[in-house]
Amino acid sequence: MAAEAKPAAASGVAGEMEVEAYRRLFPVAFLERHLGESVRIDARRLREARPTTIALGAVSSAHGSALVRLGDTAMLASVKLEVMSPPAEHPDEGSVAVEFHMPPICSPLVRPGRSAEVAPVISKALEDVLMSSGMLNLKDLCLITGKASWLAYLDIYCLNADGSLFDAALISAVAAFTHLEIPLVSVGDDGRLFTVGGNDGKNKFELVNREKRKLTLCDIPLSLTCALHKDSILADPTSEEESIIETYVTVVVDSSDRLVSLQKVGGAVTSMATIKECISLAKERRQSLREILIDSVKAMEVDQTE
Amino acid sequence: MSAQAGTGTYSPAVAAGDKRRERKEELRRHLVEDADWPRADGRSFHDCRPAFMQTGPTTAASGSAYAEFGKTKVIVSVFGPRESKKAMMYSDIGRLNCNVSYTTFATPVRGQGADNKEYSSMLYKALEGAVMLHTFPKTTVDVFALVLESGGSDLPIIISCASLALADAGIMMYDLVTSVSVSCFGKNIIIDPTSDEEAWQDGSLVVAFMPARKEITQLTLTGEWSDGRITNAVELCMDACSKLGDILRDHLKDTATLTSE
Repeated sequence: MAAEAKPAAASGVAGEMEVEAYRRLFPVAFLERHLGESVRIDARRLREARPTTIALGAVSSAHGSALVRLGDTAMLASVKLEVMSPPAEHPDEGSVAVEFHMPPICSPLVRPGRSAEVAPVISKALEDVLMSSGMLNLKDLCLITGKASWLAYLDIYCLNADGSLFDAALISAVAAFTHLEIPLVSVGDDGRLFTVGGNDGKNKFELVNREKRKLTLCDIPLSLTCALHKDSILADPTSEEESIIETYVTVVVDSSDRLVSLQKVGGAVTSMATIKECISLAKERRQSLREILIDSVKAMEVDQTE
Repeated sequence: MSAQAGTGTYSPAVAAGDKRRERKEELRRHLVEDADWPRADGRSFHDCRPAFMQTGPTTAASGSAYAEFGKTKVIVSVFGPRESKKAMMYSDIGRLNCNVSYTTFATPVRGQGADNKEYSSMLYKALEGAVMLHTFPKTTVDVFALVLESGGSDLPIIISCASLALADAGIMMYDLVTSVSVSCFGKNIIIDPTSDEEAWQDGSLVVAFMPARKEITQLTLTGEWSDGRITNAVELCMDACSKLGDILRDHLKDTATLTSE
């Protein structure tokens, strides 16, 4: 049967049906036949990530937002700022609340009323990476020491789940913070802070934060997930590949190629050499993602000037 | 300043409240004058917002559609027909399962939008009459909607978008279902209201309509209406629904010819 599958593909609809059936009934064999030819099911090379696009400012009601597509995986991230009292132990810092959502529209595996199993896992991993990488200087989110600071709500929605969700979510989070523009605030007579409409601030209010309208992102963390199947390393797996393969390595590196986080949860045993290779792939990927991110910022600026 | 700030409560919502009150005043003023005032987005009373609709944003689903009407943005995914998860009695017709949810950033203030829990069942009621349930016995078709941004007329847009997604999924239907709402302000009827207009309306009417069969699947009327104006408003909605139906049909035809080429 395995021998027939290939020529059958060329012979019209009936042939295609057979390949589809083979793909569903013997997914592992189907994958391995591809890997034998050094090609992926979606015609990618083994270590090639899918084309990635970033669109900044996708949500008009948010202070910063980004829509990221990683192949067919789509993530919509939004940052909304709210004024609150700073945490008692750090009176000169703001805070960030990270939430990753998988609404039922994104995948056949998610049903309404029950959150997907992976959603809280990704949520926690994202929060850890964002906070520990030192990308955000929480002091930038302070308004009046001890009195008021920003609470940034980062909400990421998965609109279409097709594998490598953590990678896509991290890119969208970084992009949303890149796009973030902090609104002007002023103190009212009653001592409450309120946001001032309009961008130029040429009004009667005394502004608290004329400076600091953009966050300075220091070390930007970016990641690559690799699926390990026998001796092959498959970068940026799709959901089909994720459903077949058990072993993953997720590597997060920052702007200076330092390792932020490395995860290999369960699956088959792996050699140190493979892990090292995953790390070097992640570094390469970090560079290309950085370029895509810079291009998206430029594209947005062009849009605004037109 | 710091003495006053000592209370420790900070709220950015004060200014927003002022703005809303101003807007309310403005609308009230227009009502008294009873003139054909220009709407905030420059439309006249009987103009709908430009409709942008697309099929297939969610590849993981059997069918999906995206709709953008002004600021309102909605994605609907259709899954199935697939095995029913609920333990059910034997049934020779299929089950349609609808769910509508909002993102946390759908409304201007995070997490403070109306819950709109009733939308799930209203979506179901609007589609029920159009879907041929007997074509998928014992199984379930799931229709899930996510409102990315809420900018008014959410439910009618969800309904139209859902019927496009059902068509994209190849679920058999008697006809497409399109839906349009109108708001009533004093003596005036305005079509396809934005959220600001919805906030100050005297009454509203939502019509879900099958354009080819000329049948209404759902009609919801709230607020103050007089007889004559109801007839008027329903006819206006039906006419807008037929036009929206043409847009949906054209879009489906275009994508069908594109894929067959």
